[in-house]
Amino acid sequence: MLPCTGRIDEAILLKAFEKGADGVMVIGCLEGDCHYVNGNIRARARVERVYRILEQIDIGPERIRMYNLSAGEGSKFAAFTSEFVEQVVKLGPSPINLARQREAQVS
Amino acid sequence: MTVNPMTEMTATGAVMVVGGGISGMQSALDLANSGFKVYLVEHAPAIGGKMAQLDKTFPTNDCSMCIVSPKLVEVGRHRNIELLTHSDLTALEGEAGNFTARITQHARYVNIDKCTGCGLCELACPVTQISWFHEQTGEDGKKKKLKAKNKRLIRGPSTPQPTTLAKWTFRVDEEKCSRCGMCHRACLHGAVNWQKKEIASIDQDRCTGCGACYTVCPEKFQAITISDAPELDKNLGVAVRERSNEIIKRLGTPNQGVSTDCIRCGLCVLMCTKVMGIGALQMVEDGIEAGLDICQVCGACQSVCPVTYLNVSELTDKTPRPLLNTFNEGLNLRKPINIFYPQAVPRVPVIDEASCVKLNTGECGTCQAVCGTGAIDYTHTVSEKEIKVGSLIFSPGIEVFDASIRGEFGYGIYKNVVTSIEFERLLSASGPTSGSVMRPGDSKHPRKIAWIQCVGSRDNSCGRDYCSSVCCMYATKEAYIAREHDSSIEPTIFYIDMRSFGKNFDSYITRARENNIRFVRAMVSRIFEDPQTGDLELRYVDGSGTRCSETFEMVVLSVGIQVADRTRRLAETIGIDLDSYGFAVTDGFTPMAASRPGVYVSGAFNGPKDIPETVCEASGAAQAASVALAPVRNTMLAAAPVVHERIEEPGDPLRIGVFVCHCGSNIASVVDVETVADYARTLPNVVFADHPLYTCSQDSVERIKELINEHNLNRVVVSACSPSTHEPLFMSTLQQAGINKYFFDMANIRDQCSWVHQLEPEAATQKAKRLMRMAVTNVSQAKPLSELEFDVEPTLLVIGGGVAGMTAAVEAAGQGFNVYLVEQQPRLGGQLVNLQRSWDGQDFAPFLQGLIDRVEDNERIRVLTSSVVVDQTGFIGSFESEVMTPTGGSRKVKHGATLIATGAEEYRPDLYGLGELDNVMSQTDFERLLVEDPDRAASIGSVVMLQCAGSRCAEHLNYCSRICCNQAVKNSIGLKKINPAARIDVLYRDMRCYGLTELDYRKARKSGVNFIRFDPDIEAPAIDAGSAAISVSLTDPSIRMKVKLSPDLLVLSTGIVPRDTEELATMLRVPRNSNGFFIEAHAKLRPVDLASEGIFMAGTAHGPKNVTETIAQAQAAVGRAATILANAKLKLSGVFSTVNAEHCAVCLTCVRACPYGVPVINEEHTAYINPALCQGCGICVAECPAKTITLGRYLDENLNAKLEAYQAAAYADESGGA
Repeated sequence: MLPCTGRIDEAILLKAFEKGADGVMVIGCLEGDCHYVNGNIRARARVERVYRILEQIDIGPERIRMYNLSAGEGSKFAAFTSEFVEQVVKLGPSPINLARQREAQVS
Repeated sequence: MTVNPMTEMTATGAVMVVGGGISGMQSALDLANSGFKVYLVEHAPAIGGKMAQLDKTFPTNDCSMCIVSPKLVEVGRHRNIELLTHSDLTALEGEAGNFTARITQHARYVNIDKCTGCGLCELACPVTQISWFHEQTGEDGKKKKLKAKNKRLIRGPSTPQPTTLAKWTFRVDEEKCSRCGMCHRACLHGAVNWQKKEIASIDQDRCTGCGACYTVCPEKFQAITISDAPELDKNLGVAVRERSNEIIKRLGTPNQGVSTDCIRCGLCVLMCTKVMGIGALQMVEDGIEAGLDICQVCGACQSVCPVTYLNVSELTDKTPRPLLNTFNEGLNLRKPINIFYPQAVPRVPVIDEASCVKLNTGECGTCQAVCGTGAIDYTHTVSEKEIKVGSLIFSPGIEVFDASIRGEFGYGIYKNVVTSIEFERLLSASGPTSGSVMRPGDSKHPRKIAWIQCVGSRDNSCGRDYCSSVCCMYATKEAYIAREHDSSIEPTIFYIDMRSFGKNFDSYITRARENNIRFVRAMVSRIFEDPQTGDLELRYVDGSGTRCSETFEMVVLSVGIQVADRTRRLAETIGIDLDSYGFAVTDGFTPMAASRPGVYVSGAFNGPKDIPETVCEASGAAQAASVALAPVRNTMLAAAPVVHERIEEPGDPLRIGVFVCHCGSNIASVVDVETVADYARTLPNVVFADHPLYTCSQDSVERIKELINEHNLNRVVVSACSPSTHEPLFMSTLQQAGINKYFFDMANIRDQCSWVHQLEPEAATQKAKRLMRMAVTNVSQAKPLSELEFDVEPTLLVIGGGVAGMTAAVEAAGQGFNVYLVEQQPRLGGQLVNLQRSWDGQDFAPFLQGLIDRVEDNERIRVLTSSVVVDQTGFIGSFESEVMTPTGGSRKVKHGATLIATGAEEYRPDLYGLGELDNVMSQTDFERLLVEDPDRAASIGSVVMLQCAGSRCAEHLNYCSRICCNQAVKNSIGLKKINPAARIDVLYRDMRCYGLTELDYRKARKSGVNFIRFDPDIEAPAIDAGSAAISVSLTDPSIRMKVKLSPDLLVLSTGIVPRDTEELATMLRVPRNSNGFFIEAHAKLRPVDLASEGIFMAGTAHGPKNVTETIAQAQAAVGRAATILANAKLKLSGVFSTVNAEHCAVCLTCVRACPYGVPVINEEHTAYINPALCQGCGICVAECPAKTITLGRYLDENLNAKLEAYQAAAYADESGGA
């Protein structure tokens, strides 16, 4: 939990992949409804940049996504999460995790 | 306001607020934060009022609960606020300064101090109906057994299929058995062996565990025993519920209507006979036999039936009375023990005396048995108490109109006709349909929905002549949100006038039109239901006069607001005057003062109004109620305990304590909390771990403090529920134990584990371990943060010397603060100098002169005319401003808060010869003519008033100026008084006479003023104004004919424009909208605050408004400023961004990125972020290319630590360890 998605930078998002995440969801306030004016808009731009980086380094851009929700949208949150998890499950473990598994097997 | 020296001596520094809606809450918070003790009295079991029931709010579509719940929590936790819920004021004696209020606290049957709000009691309670309780005690004082005379066999589609799922074991206690054989006869499976005069025994192989033997064994012997029944140690009711849940779980998803066969689990019979003490049900070969006449219709049997075999309506000869959930407007059911709503404060249930079985017959007692903290107490009684207060704020709120009075709409008869508040609950994610728009009649998703406006508003036929002010906007919002939920919905709104008169309201309506919401100007005359489909046929006459009929699938009645009868009685108790509709009577110049001195009113009870105006009045009422009590400020407050913080030495080892909460069974029934606690003990630096039943209960919190000292803990992690509700509690616990409160983290294993992974307990436990581990690692990285204290300068700087600025100055001085009042013009007065009379008919001149005298005579107020504020530095509580004085010199003033009251003026467009021709004038000119030149006024034979002359159009002002309709009505009536024969035609688009001003509109029409509507998009009036004569022609839609008018005078309602404040706004770094009005910090809940802390606004600088509203806002702004100025010292949040100057490249990225304009480049040529101004969002931290800005609590170290812990935990899982 963070005060605002505007606190997230690209390094943290990439770090999550490095530390074993197969997918990363960023969830911010609804656009135009940011508690801190425009933090979610900035976060969106950063997520887009990470998207392009993931594409370039062959981890797969579909593994990151930003969603916008209000605090009252529990069922929507569940639907988004299920949808994203399904997408990541379809993609399988991230190449970083696969490499690590191979390494573990070798040793 | 002068203070009586007598009361000053003895006044009580406490205020009572009656009514805990958004109004009462805001008043309570403002008072509590400015040094007064507050008693908040609420009739309902929890505070929140109407706003808590709403789904979204206009015009920003903010989620209502999301914005109100932080207020709920703040009120609930405030040291200076004592909450008295489920209570009523019954008497108010004494006088202003020294009242004695008598409060009746109704029996709650739940101890607020012990209850943790876990909600288990509500889940366990089996009752769903209002029962018919039997008189069961006979003449001998013994309990009579009820005997059924009228029986009915309940059969399923096929014969019962006995189940042994989660079977209990029944045995015969040989010593108690009386050898009667009742059990043998009752058993339908031949499992009870019995011979005459011999002890019975149960064949466990044949027994299905239905308990028939147990229920028939006579009460005096009780020879059958039960074993293997989980939760039986609590009581039978809890055990029955537990087995029912277990069977449901094992049967798979309980799909209604799938399994309708009886599974002969026997739970219904056990419940009825042994828990409720009735014995109306009996298991028979073909199903269940029900004793219709003895059934008490409590619904318990149906609620524990694991399949859908029983239906309470078939089991009785009476008509069941379902217990409806009032918070959800009766759209779903509740239990007799009920938490008012999920986010309720206090989150403590109340037991309903009318329907609780225990309170009426002495049976059941399930809730008490299941409660883990012993909070339920059936012996509660009504209690009375007397409270001494200095003043009282009455903000009881409103209720909605009873739509069944307008019988032609079929409300209460046609199921798919609902009221707007019911629709609000249908839209709400926490409502009865979880936010899915469904028709109550058949749960179908409606496509075509109609809203009918003015149901119980502007309606003389049912005694509601006034306009409810909010319906046009809320209906549009509901239509808008409905389409957001389901874009196939086609909304139509039937209305008379579109009264979107507030700030940004018109643009909201425009957006709604663009979003395919259809607006039809027509009043629906009748609704007919098609009984086959449940669809509704609406009859109305459209703009062209054609009779129309149109079918909709659902109809929402936009019900008006009204004062409840209970409120009228309460007002009588308090002794304040009400008007004929029940609204409070107040004076236009003292808008919150009720007729009894010392009593103040606010909110919709003080005339219909929306949330921001209510919040505004609430802050204003707090100010008005406390100004006379200023000398006794801070005399009634409980002192905060001072605990010295342990200072950590470098090299001190980490000693982390972990608490994993059961939350009763909320968490523990899914997550294996003991395993999680065991796992915690294996983590580095964790020296203590425990799993309390309720971590947040009062005794647990005390225990945590002891454990911190016992184990010398220096970091704490709680794995429990949501940090947004519970983190402040635990952080203050740490503080009280002498640990820096930021050495804390919380893992939410309830919402994120037990609630969402209910069916996968192992995975949920695994996830709980990971989340807890992440919190432990995070807390290991925590840095102690300090909350800086600084002195507050108790002075208010007021910019603008109009009615808003002067009112604020006088009130602030009354509160004991010093005031600098800076006015650009050489004299005080502002726009009011140009106006004559208020909407309620009072002369402005004497009022204005009185106000100016009070300002000038007040020694606390320093007036600086012909002066301008040119610079401001500092922050909330400690500003310094530079004021340019008429001599050209400048002076510096120190102040703790700033109030912008720069006002507005009449718009003077170049239209129809305004300003050039003698017979064309503005409403303000005309108003002056009526007062100053009555002879000329009397000679005027005919007048045409043109509304929106310059307002609501792209070329001039693209907003509604709000006041012009009322000004036109006022001046029409004024001319009619002078010359009753004068012909007046008012050409309008929508008459926006909101609230009680609708009555004047009605009066004007009755006195013969002619109102002609036009639509500029279709045909604007053709006006030819020449020096000799004026001619006006347009189509009058009411007669559908062209009319030609040749008035003596053309009066233009030109609207109002804000004064030029561009330089001021830039200097103060506060935003204005495109029209030049200042933008409030939050459109709903912070209407007089600006986004920069410590800066407020009042009056027409905020948006168009009348004098009464301006005064209310000025008082509100002082009320808000008092929450700063009344404190000798203020504390800053510990969470703010800091620049490490060493690596700062002065690239200005942070300066540009900050949405609040906080970072500046200082004299040392590095970026600097003032901790007092920083809002703590962290945007600059993420943007800084040199990574040299950090945000306390959310450092990269913290986030990386969490990710590391995530990885470590995941690997531990994979390798089978953990």
